[in-house]
Amino acid sequence: MIRLVRELYQYRGLLLSLVQRELKARYRGSFLGFLWTFLNPTLNMLVYSLLFTVMMRANTPHYSYFMFVGLLPWIWFSTSLGAGASAISERRDLMTKVRFPAQVLPTTVVLTNLSNYLLSLPLMLGLGLFHGQYPTWHVIAFPVVVLIQLIFTLAMTYILAAINVTFRDLQHIVGNLLTMWFFITPVLYQASTILDERVRTVVLVANPMSSLMLSYQAIFYEHRFPDPWPLAALAAFSLALLWGASILFESRREEFAESI
Amino acid sequence: MQEPLDAIVMRDVVKSFRKRTIRGEYTTFKSELLRWLRGKRQPKEGGLITALRGITLNIPRGKTVAIIGRNGSGKSTLLKLITGIYAPTSGHMEINGRISALLDLGAGFHPDFSGRENILINGIILGMSRAEVRERMDDIIAFSELGEFIDEPVRTYSSGMYMRLAFAVATHVDPDILIVDEILAVGDEHFSKKSMAKMTEFKKRGKTIVLVTHDLSTVERWCDEAAWIDGGYIRRVGRPSEVVAEYKQAIALAEAQSVVFTPPALTEDGGALPQVNVPGAEAPVRLSGLKLVSPSGEVAPKLTPESSVEACVDFSAQGLCEDLVFEVSLQTLEGRALYETSTRVESVSLPKELPASGRVRFVLQRLGLLAGTYVCEVTARTKGGVSRETCTFVVSSSVAERGVFRPVHHWVVETVPVSVAPVLAGVGHP
Repeated sequence: MIRLVRELYQYRGLLLSLVQRELKARYRGSFLGFLWTFLNPTLNMLVYSLLFTVMMRANTPHYSYFMFVGLLPWIWFSTSLGAGASAISERRDLMTKVRFPAQVLPTTVVLTNLSNYLLSLPLMLGLGLFHGQYPTWHVIAFPVVVLIQLIFTLAMTYILAAINVTFRDLQHIVGNLLTMWFFITPVLYQASTILDERVRTVVLVANPMSSLMLSYQAIFYEHRFPDPWPLAALAAFSLALLWGASILFESRREEFAESI
Repeated sequence: MQEPLDAIVMRDVVKSFRKRTIRGEYTTFKSELLRWLRGKRQPKEGGLITALRGITLNIPRGKTVAIIGRNGSGKSTLLKLITGIYAPTSGHMEINGRISALLDLGAGFHPDFSGRENILINGIILGMSRAEVRERMDDIIAFSELGEFIDEPVRTYSSGMYMRLAFAVATHVDPDILIVDEILAVGDEHFSKKSMAKMTEFKKRGKTIVLVTHDLSTVERWCDEAAWIDGGYIRRVGRPSEVVAEYKQAIALAEAQSVVFTPPALTEDGGALPQVNVPGAEAPVRLSGLKLVSPSGEVAPKLTPESSVEACVDFSAQGLCEDLVFEVSLQTLEGRALYETSTRVESVSLPKELPASGRVRFVLQRLGLLAGTYVCEVTARTKGGVSRETCTFVVSSSVAERGVFRPVHHWVVETVPVSVAPVLAGVGHP
């Protein structure tokens, strides 16, 4: 794992340039350009707001803001995994022609989406102001939560990217699994609204994303500190997962250039 | 064994690929299911393709080494091993120095980005730091000769412009070891000249260059050494002219024998070309101890263009050598032939029965070469094999002529009466 991280540090210039390029490239050529960073989640939010406040009549106050708080980090997570799975297998042009550590590619995807997330935060805060929700000093816990999610997302993306080199079905499976995952994660609903006690425990304990979402909601929506223990457990789990991911990555990296 | 002077050391390096990755068959559910239904748990044994079967090669620091060989003989695999893109299956490799590989031009170019933006990303991918790229940005743009197009998206470029930009970036990386895969011919006459000049500049600065190419004249003209890779092994390493000559002979022989040119890596024996001749040991006539002597027998004499000199070489012969031909070649240090002759072209009759040992003397009444360092090469060629001896010699001259050789000449200046038609006699150079 140390080697993995050290190489990332050595190639930080490349990483930075790739992230910059991805950010620029995403909306290059489109008329609205960078505005899409805000428009995409907004449109997403409008659809869900319509569904849940008008059609299903959820009783959450300031529902669209509540949903936005969880939706934005979820988008970061899901787009990272979705695009990260094929990050290595799709860059044959680089992998077979230039020598550089392969983990740069999935890391680029995760960091690009993280930047997108951070860039769309003003939109979320703006929406909060509109609903009369002013950020409190509890936001100092926010970077910690982001860091934990970053580690977890990186680990997941490394694993998917490494396996997808030899097992291409994964990139198709991932999309569907993510949709399922989305609905068992309290993004669109509050965890307390799950009535069945056992289901709620499963959703909260077995789903690493739940404690992250609850933390974001605690900070921005409930204006309190997130529960420390689930977060600490997740942090430990994420580090262990990253360690496992780096072992998997190391054992396979020799094959990458040959297999794609 | 390992000299620190070598930029690249390879010992018995083997590289095999699993077959499915070469044929592009990925493991899919269908293939797994079918295999399971057929009762084969594991892929068939022998699903390996061995591209390199045991490469032992030293690339000295500061030399330009060409790697030649037919298509699919493993040249590119070798380069990818050196670059570190592939890991060797077995064997030992040692790289001393920062490597930059030009295996592909324009790695990571993004069509929607301008030339300038792509220079940055491509340069970093090739191993420069951001600061280095920024610093060399103007040089690169100037070299690419793209002018105002540099700020247009790369997708609007013609293929020539694209290649020029990519080549400009690639050659501005400043490595110790440069790995080049067949990309010297970029752009028009003017640009390819410029590219060559850039590569020559690399060479002059003492960089090690490893070059894969099919352009054999480039190899002969431009490289210090050539390594011929054939059938997964290094078949021959040596002076470019010799290696290229033998390679050409082997190809010609293979064509004459109508050998089927199958992909080498898929063939049992590695698809090696037929043996032309084994230099040295098994040759029926073997040469040794080539030296230049003056008519008085003085070894390694001081040579001037007017010297008389003899190239003496001892030979030992085994059995009948009816088809024996002695060849003599005078060359520049770079291997360019200045004069070549042989007992066959001059119809010199050699004795039917060669003595078990003897001496050949190539007598030059007058050397004629201008000041410089030259190579004399004597070859004994028979069907059974070739034996070759070379030695270098220095010619010095007090006259500051220019050129390669001094023809026999003298100058005459004389008065001619006006009424008579002018007669000029014996003017060497008017």
